[in-house]
Amino acid sequence: MGVRATLARWAAAAPVPTFVVAGFGAREAAQDLWLDPRIVLVAAPRQASVLLLAGDVPEPLLQAAIRAHDVMPAPRAVVAWRTSHRAVTERFPTVAVAEGPQPAEALVAVHRALRTGDQTSTPPILADVDPAPWRGEGPYGQGGSGMTGGVPYGRPMATREDDRDGLTLDALPVPVGPLFAGFPDGLSARITFKGDLVHRFELQPNPFAADPQADRDDPFVRALADPVPIAELEVARARELLRACARTLHLQGLDALAVRAIALAGRAGPGEAAAVRRLGRWVTARWCTAVQLRRVGRIEPAALDGLGVGPVARAAGLAEDVRTDDPAYRHLGFTALTQQGNDAAARLAQRFDEAVQALELAGRADGLRAGGNGAVEGPRGRLTADGSPTARLLELVPELVTGREWGDATAALASLDLDLREAASRSADVAADPL
Amino acid sequence: MSASWVVDVLFWLLAAGSLVTGWLVFRTDSMVRAAFWLLASFVGVGAMVIMLGAEFIGIVLILMMAGEMLIMAIIMVMFMMNPAGLNPMFMVHQHRASIVAGTTAFLGLAIVAVLTSFPDRPVASGVDATEQLGFELLGGSMLAFQTAGVALLSTMIGAVVLANRQGRYGSADEGSIEPDLDPEPSAEDPGSGTVSDAAGGRS
Amino acid sequence: MTGQGVHPMVAVTLIGGLLTVGVYIVAVLDATLRALVAGHPLQVGSVLTGPIRRAALLATTASGDTERPDAQGWALAPALLAGLAAVALATVPLTPQVSVADPSTGFVVFSAAIAFVMIAVFLHGWSPNSPWPLHGAYRYGAQALAFQIPFLLAMLATTLPAESLQIGEIVRAQEPLWNVVRQPLGLPLYLVVGVGVSFWGPLNLPDAADLAGGTTAESSGVGALLWQVARAAMLVAVAAMGAAAFLGGWWGPWLPAPVWMALKTLVLLAALVASRHLIARVRLERFVVICWVVLIPLALVNVFVAGAWLL
Repeated sequence: MGVRATLARWAAAAPVPTFVVAGFGAREAAQDLWLDPRIVLVAAPRQASVLLLAGDVPEPLLQAAIRAHDVMPAPRAVVAWRTSHRAVTERFPTVAVAEGPQPAEALVAVHRALRTGDQTSTPPILADVDPAPWRGEGPYGQGGSGMTGGVPYGRPMATREDDRDGLTLDALPVPVGPLFAGFPDGLSARITFKGDLVHRFELQPNPFAADPQADRDDPFVRALADPVPIAELEVARARELLRACARTLHLQGLDALAVRAIALAGRAGPGEAAAVRRLGRWVTARWCTAVQLRRVGRIEPAALDGLGVGPVARAAGLAEDVRTDDPAYRHLGFTALTQQGNDAAARLAQRFDEAVQALELAGRADGLRAGGNGAVEGPRGRLTADGSPTARLLELVPELVTGREWGDATAALASLDLDLREAASRSADVAADPL
Repeated sequence: MSASWVVDVLFWLLAAGSLVTGWLVFRTDSMVRAAFWLLASFVGVGAMVIMLGAEFIGIVLILMMAGEMLIMAIIMVMFMMNPAGLNPMFMVHQHRASIVAGTTAFLGLAIVAVLTSFPDRPVASGVDATEQLGFELLGGSMLAFQTAGVALLSTMIGAVVLANRQGRYGSADEGSIEPDLDPEPSAEDPGSGTVSDAAGGRS
Repeated sequence: MTGQGVHPMVAVTLIGGLLTVGVYIVAVLDATLRALVAGHPLQVGSVLTGPIRRAALLATTASGDTERPDAQGWALAPALLAGLAAVALATVPLTPQVSVADPSTGFVVFSAAIAFVMIAVFLHGWSPNSPWPLHGAYRYGAQALAFQIPFLLAMLATTLPAESLQIGEIVRAQEPLWNVVRQPLGLPLYLVVGVGVSFWGPLNLPDAADLAGGTTAESSGVGALLWQVARAAMLVAVAAMGAAAFLGGWWGPWLPAPVWMALKTLVLLAALVASRHLIARVRLERFVVICWVVLIPLALVNVFVAGAWLL
């Protein structure tokens, strides 16, 4: 057997480097891929060999996925899982459609087929032409114009702009997102960097809003119209909170601890409260994350007052919670937990505390039900028929990240736990449709 | 002996390499590449110094150049509107003046190199040059080196003070503007109130 | 003088072999610690074969191409980093009899290799001509310039008891008392900086998750494989030097000298690798401030204490 065949056999047995584009209804499934040792989720398409389109991917994300596909190195393949079939097959000529509750099996099968030669690498989709070719004038190609084209062709060009250090030459405008791994899913922005600082942050439209979908399976959304068992609501809340913590941990480079949190989210129930508390104590210890996240992503408490942004507000000391007005929760002796930190570290600790509290409430809830009065305390804050905490938090984002270092800006964004799907589904015009 | 043959080849390779990379500094079209070619040239020179038996000086030269060339590259890119210094640019300017300066410098150095009678005192193989250098630095030449050291230290402190955000003329965020040479006080400036103003305020 | 008799071919083979074994150990340690922290069951077979499978995967993947990259620089960077790891490891004496290169200026050679790491990382980030790698490259510039001085000072203190810049002499001078006891500040300082040199875990600022992989965001195929290998090799060199300079190298009771050296290197390597799974990434600004304001004075105190001990 040749060296090449041996290498291919070994490569086929390696974890599948996967770049995920998660649409509607695939947020959790995409995150759960971290738990599978046969899959490794990569941050940049260049490091991937399989592109996974999970859930219903809206049009702007599909466009971005096409560009991501074209920068993936050969051999590469595309897997679609629970997508609206036609939209994907129209754009990706060869796509493997995955069935079943998890896309992992299909990813592994496609990866094997790619490496053993049973399946060929997908050809590029876009034409490989430079939209703004360099038109140098001098004998060494210097001077002239061009090379400021789009993505993936062309690169950002530094421009002149006043700066606090007196140099006017180092402003670098970079389009970031919607598939940037350091951002919440779908967030995209035009960012002007000055070194490591975010000088300007212009939020781009929410790609999920192009093709919003109702989120009827979400227990918190069901609780808007009808009472839902508190046990169900609180277990769902604990899971969402743990998943948010995992996203923060992942961004801070603690992949293994993030996996532990995701696994705990998957099996969370009233019996796991002690395990969640233990993990919370470990993760929020000073040496682990607390020192690094302290004073990162501070928001004026006055700006949060009355906004109904759940853990973010409560981590700033504002005891705002829809649940305090609910008779069923009052019966259970619920009081809103708060922190005084008002930074990313406090929000991480707050989410762990609330996850523990939620699991304890779920254990005591018996058959009690809550909801049905048009406003629910979701895992991110007050949810109504036409308003979501994500939409309200997005308004604060440009001010939050402007003037911050890039690492702090991404950590601050992760600490808000934005879900752009929720913002799209709960916006006024979508909610106007009768459910 | 075969060892001396290897040493000769190595020396000439390094010498030629230093010259070629030095020449490439001016032939490349990018500031960062120019800085790295210069670094390569210096590493070649450092290696030759090591071959001359001055191990410590040669390695320290290489060590220092790594940081210096990186800082130089970053500062050059910072001052030029050229993303990452990768877009092609013309690295040679003022041809006539630079030809004259280059030729003059070369002739001067060549004359010195040809006319000087270099000492020819081979060192015994057992001598540790590093140790001797240490005794020289903290012995006979101590005054000269310590003076240079203190001078460099004060330069560094001065540079830090000048680069400080709270500079000599106020915060850099507010422009850190040098006060006018004209001693006439401006009307709005409350800090430069005259004696009569102060007296008027008191009465 | 030790190590004078090693034939060049033997030296190259020895360093190559040690680095290969070391890189493999780093990969296995990393997978083991990851499974432990993540709460996954530890599957010995997959942990042991995992590095080979991942290497095969990268080796059979095409190298990507960005728009107008500096192809030579991009290819050179991983090779340079691996070469620097080899140079750094070569200065570490392995046993009283065997050392690949133990020049009288060993400390300076090692420091020069560490200083050149920033050239390798900058080249790796700058060459692809893409925003995230470039961002990572500039970050490493700030990071590396900040930790160079504490690093040099922490190492310098170990040369004082030895009264020599030769690493072999530094180890020999530790026969009565290891430097980790004599200079308690030295090893922690060295480890902090060692993590930074290998841009690993909490100090992985150039290749960080918030830059979508930073300087590696555009790497694929053999280039990406070499970069990972070179980085792990740097970690091995740093651990080996830490064992020699602070933990007494080959000195130790009962066991033979090379076993002690290997054990100490392994302990430091495990500590360095574990930092990745236990400590969140440190903010760049805070790290730079800590380096200049805390670590440099501490390292100076360390040097003064080491000097006073001698008087």
